[in-house]
Amino acid sequence: MNRTLLRWTVPAAAAVAVVAAATIPTLASADSPELPDRTPEELAAAVVEAEPVPMSGSAVYTARLGLPEIPAQMTGGADPLNLLSGSSTIRMWTDAEGRSRVSLLGTTSEYSVVTDGPEAWTYASSSHQVVHLTLGPDAQEHLADAEAEHAAAEAAGTLPTPQDLAQQLLERAEEHADVTVGDAVVVAGRAAYQVVVTPTDDGTLVDRVVVAVDGETLVPLSVQVWSTEATNAPALELAYTDVSFSAPSDAALTFSTPSGAEVTEKVVELGDLDAAPEHTGDVPDGVTVSGEGFATVVERSGGDLEALLTGDPAAVADELDHPLGGGPGEELFGDMGGGTELDRAALYEQLTTPVDGGRLLSSTLLSVLVTDDGRILVGAVPGETLLEAAGLA
Amino acid sequence: MSRGEALETGPATVAPAAAATTPAAAAREDAEVRATRGAFGRLLRSELRLVLGRRRTQLLVLLLALVPVLVGTIVRATVDSAFSGQGPGFIERVSGNGLFLVVTALFLCLPLLLPLGVSIAAADAVAGEASAGTLRYLLVVPVGRGRLLAAKAIAALTLVVVAIALVTAAALVTGWVYFGYGDLDLLSGQSVSAAAGFARMLGVAGYVALSLTGLLAVGLFFSTLTEVPIGVIAATVVVSILSNVLDSLPQVEAIHPFLLSHHWFDFAEFLRAEVSWSLLGQGLLVQLAWVAVFGSLAWARFTTADITS
Amino acid sequence: MTPTATRPDGALDGGAVGAPVVRSEGLTKRFRNGQVAVDGIDLEVPRGAVYGFLGPNGSGKTTTIRMLLGLVQATAGRAWLLGEPMPDGGARVLPRVGALVEGPAFQPYLSGRANLERLDAVDASAPRRTSARRIGDALERVGLAAAARKPYRQYSLGMKQRLGLAAALLRPRELLVLDEPTNGLDPQGTREVRHLVRELAGEGATILVSSHLLSEIDQVCTHVGVMRQGRLLVQGPRDALGTADAAQVVVTTEPGSLAQARETFARLGLEETAVDGEVVAARLGAVALADVAPALVAAGVPVLGLEIRRPTLEDLFVELTGQGFDVSG
Ligand SMILES: Nc1ncnc2c1ncn2[C@@H]1O[C@H](COP(=O)(O)OP(=O)(O)O)[C@@H](O)[C@H]1O
Ligand SMILES: [Mg+2]
Repeated sequence: MNRTLLRWTVPAAAAVAVVAAATIPTLASADSPELPDRTPEELAAAVVEAEPVPMSGSAVYTARLGLPEIPAQMTGGADPLNLLSGSSTIRMWTDAEGRSRVSLLGTTSEYSVVTDGPEAWTYASSSHQVVHLTLGPDAQEHLADAEAEHAAAEAAGTLPTPQDLAQQLLERAEEHADVTVGDAVVVAGRAAYQVVVTPTDDGTLVDRVVVAVDGETLVPLSVQVWSTEATNAPALELAYTDVSFSAPSDAALTFSTPSGAEVTEKVVELGDLDAAPEHTGDVPDGVTVSGEGFATVVERSGGDLEALLTGDPAAVADELDHPLGGGPGEELFGDMGGGTELDRAALYEQLTTPVDGGRLLSSTLLSVLVTDDGRILVGAVPGETLLEAAGLA
Repeated sequence: MSRGEALETGPATVAPAAAATTPAAAAREDAEVRATRGAFGRLLRSELRLVLGRRRTQLLVLLLALVPVLVGTIVRATVDSAFSGQGPGFIERVSGNGLFLVVTALFLCLPLLLPLGVSIAAADAVAGEASAGTLRYLLVVPVGRGRLLAAKAIAALTLVVVAIALVTAAALVTGWVYFGYGDLDLLSGQSVSAAAGFARMLGVAGYVALSLTGLLAVGLFFSTLTEVPIGVIAATVVVSILSNVLDSLPQVEAIHPFLLSHHWFDFAEFLRAEVSWSLLGQGLLVQLAWVAVFGSLAWARFTTADITS
Repeated sequence: MTPTATRPDGALDGGAVGAPVVRSEGLTKRFRNGQVAVDGIDLEVPRGAVYGFLGPNGSGKTTTIRMLLGLVQATAGRAWLLGEPMPDGGARVLPRVGALVEGPAFQPYLSGRANLERLDAVDASAPRRTSARRIGDALERVGLAAAARKPYRQYSLGMKQRLGLAAALLRPRELLVLDEPTNGLDPQGTREVRHLVRELAGEGATILVSSHLLSEIDQVCTHVGVMRQGRLLVQGPRDALGTADAAQVVVTTEPGSLAQARETFARLGLEETAVDGEVVAARLGAVALADVAPALVAAGVPVLGLEIRRPTLEDLFVELTGQGFDVSG
């Protein structure tokens, strides 16, 4: 009898060992590492003005936006749409000299964006389709070299990396948020500062943004966006699980068209670029902006109304493609125009709920209102704010 | 029960009736022959012969190996039709490169057929033997329960490996015959040589086999709990399905990395430009954890259980 | 719990030498459903004995055997085989023990021979060299040599039982534990098993043979233990069991001499004399059997037949329990 009991202690011990092995690394990384003191301003400025460094790494992206999970069958593999909900893995390589590759990993598929100076390619393995983007002549003419380098990639619909996301969020932090430095943390095995950005405006859904910045290189290693509506986990999280600050191999950075792939050539004109109006300081026709900082609401009218009313989701996606306001919303929905052929009408139905005078998409970080009269309002604010702004409330 | 003549040609090991104490002495002497060297190897070979020699098992493995043949034939037949390039996994790539048939076949077998095979192997190992009543005779031979369980686990794992190897081989042959091999286009768009692609396919098969060890351990544990093999099969298949279901629920995201099936499809790493060994290692570590816990559970149960079958 | 043994003067040494081959003290099994299958039994099987382990279906024989062989853990009590404690000594002692537990069981799709090969391969201490020969001999001995290559599933019940016995005989054994070896056999098969048991006993092996059919065992066993509802009611040498003076002497004579025979019996002091046709029977009691025939002859009774009828185990059992030998709970 005694021996029987003794035998059962073995699996019990094994279970304890396994649980310990699974939890101890997380506990250990909870210990705050030692880093030299830096001021919040210093760190925020370092991130915003940081020069890119050659590096490669894997990051895990998790969205808890309160949106329905998009089934893999619907997107048919790795697709930027997967970023709307659930977890995705992203791998990136960059040589900091205009060449980079960012891949969104699907279970048995991959969606890659490869940038080489003013050229960019996207490749979706599930559909075996390549989109080759080149800058049109007027775009080339109007854009400075540095901008041109990003332009094609941007038009391709970038996949988020912690660096980009952090940069976008911190850019407008100084004016509209309090920036503090929290306890140092370990991300991807590296000691990192924690920069906490708390919006001053309480009209926004963004409660705070936490960016972990590598203690050595000051490269952002993780970004968490916390919502005021869900306090137990970040609504959006993008964090490296491993990074290497060495120059990636040429093979990783070059793009060669796989045999038999269907190639679509796309010339990027100046008008296609978000960057253009931003940089010229103008607001495009039909776009009005209200609110400030994180609570900005962008209203756009004169879109392809008919298509919207008949529920042509590609049009919706297009509309969503160009809202201003920055923040996580743009990053997130900017990708919805990706080149897959899923049933966007169904997706549109699924994501939005009918309201008086339109359809509303509410997530924990962002709301989108499409009114029956053809306006689209987007903002990191509660749905009611949009309804008010649209005059529907 | 021997008849007269049987008695006369009686075995040499049985001494004549006159020397009444001889067999006892012989028995004692015989047992002195300490566990002969290679005894475990002998036990294992016998188990393997039993497992692999079983008609039903051979038929099942053969059916499994038919999957790539069937898929290859269908792709071949529809290559010029409207259906070309449609279907799950990598099926649209198969017609371009026969090597893709390996991943396609394993992709199709992994969710249900392979777990089913694992369940059957596990169910036969202990519960099958108990339901046949042979377990009690093995144990009074005698054989240590731990040794027997180890031999059975290895034999069951061998069966799984053989099944996957045959599926892989059938896929390689079918793919080569129908479509030939070429440079392998990776998921990232880059490509590697056919030889490197071949090696990667073997990597896929090996990883898939190792990914199933955790489920096998769970099945073996179930197998020690009952004398009803079909119950073990059902329970083990349910566990694999449950694992897949939990893996798809964002509400239990925290436990996803530890799920039995979470890393199953990581075999796709072999199709990426830079194979992330750390990710594959993580998948294997998870399997190791399941093997450690359920293997020791099976051991604890089997070495203390009452054999009443 | 001591069994309600009624053995006279506790004698157990019916020709046995040394320590008992099978021994248990207070051996008890309570299954998880609460059923007490074996209730504190003290077995003692002397060396060289053919021990008939008797009891109705469900009386706990198989459970006892399972505990002795280490298949089932005893809830309480201890057991020894060949002087080694069980189940701890199993690895040392079981190679010297051949067993048939609750009927034969083999892989149905393997041949009889392949099944034996498998059991021998499992045996870590069995010499590998002699494997083929020992298997052949065992098959020969049980008369299965001709059917050795047939799949087990095609065997008749009798052939299955024989294969089970062959498995028990794969190696020279000091002790054979045979649980219901005659189950499912026809009368011829039963006789053959009895013959084999005698033969093995003759070679010096100790045999523990269980049965729920008293008559089948009655003729071969030197010792008897009787189980009922998990308890060992009695055990001891076969001859010493029961009321010794219960034996009957039966004489067959000519019709005219019946009265004379009766008279002679009365004179000798035999009791309960009864006449039935041409037969006169009486309880032998304390009278020496050797005195009966001369007395009859001296009295001029033509003795056409003379026989001694000992009480059967069935009689013994009824005597012990006052009940029939039916299934116990
Ligand atoms: N595994 C078990 N669980 C519960 N009860 C059992 C089990 N095996 C046997 N029994 C019970 O124990 C008693 C003795 O059974 P058994 O030893 O097989 O008797 P026998 O061999 O004398 O016919 C029976 O009443 C039977 O129902
Ligand atoms: Mg029985």
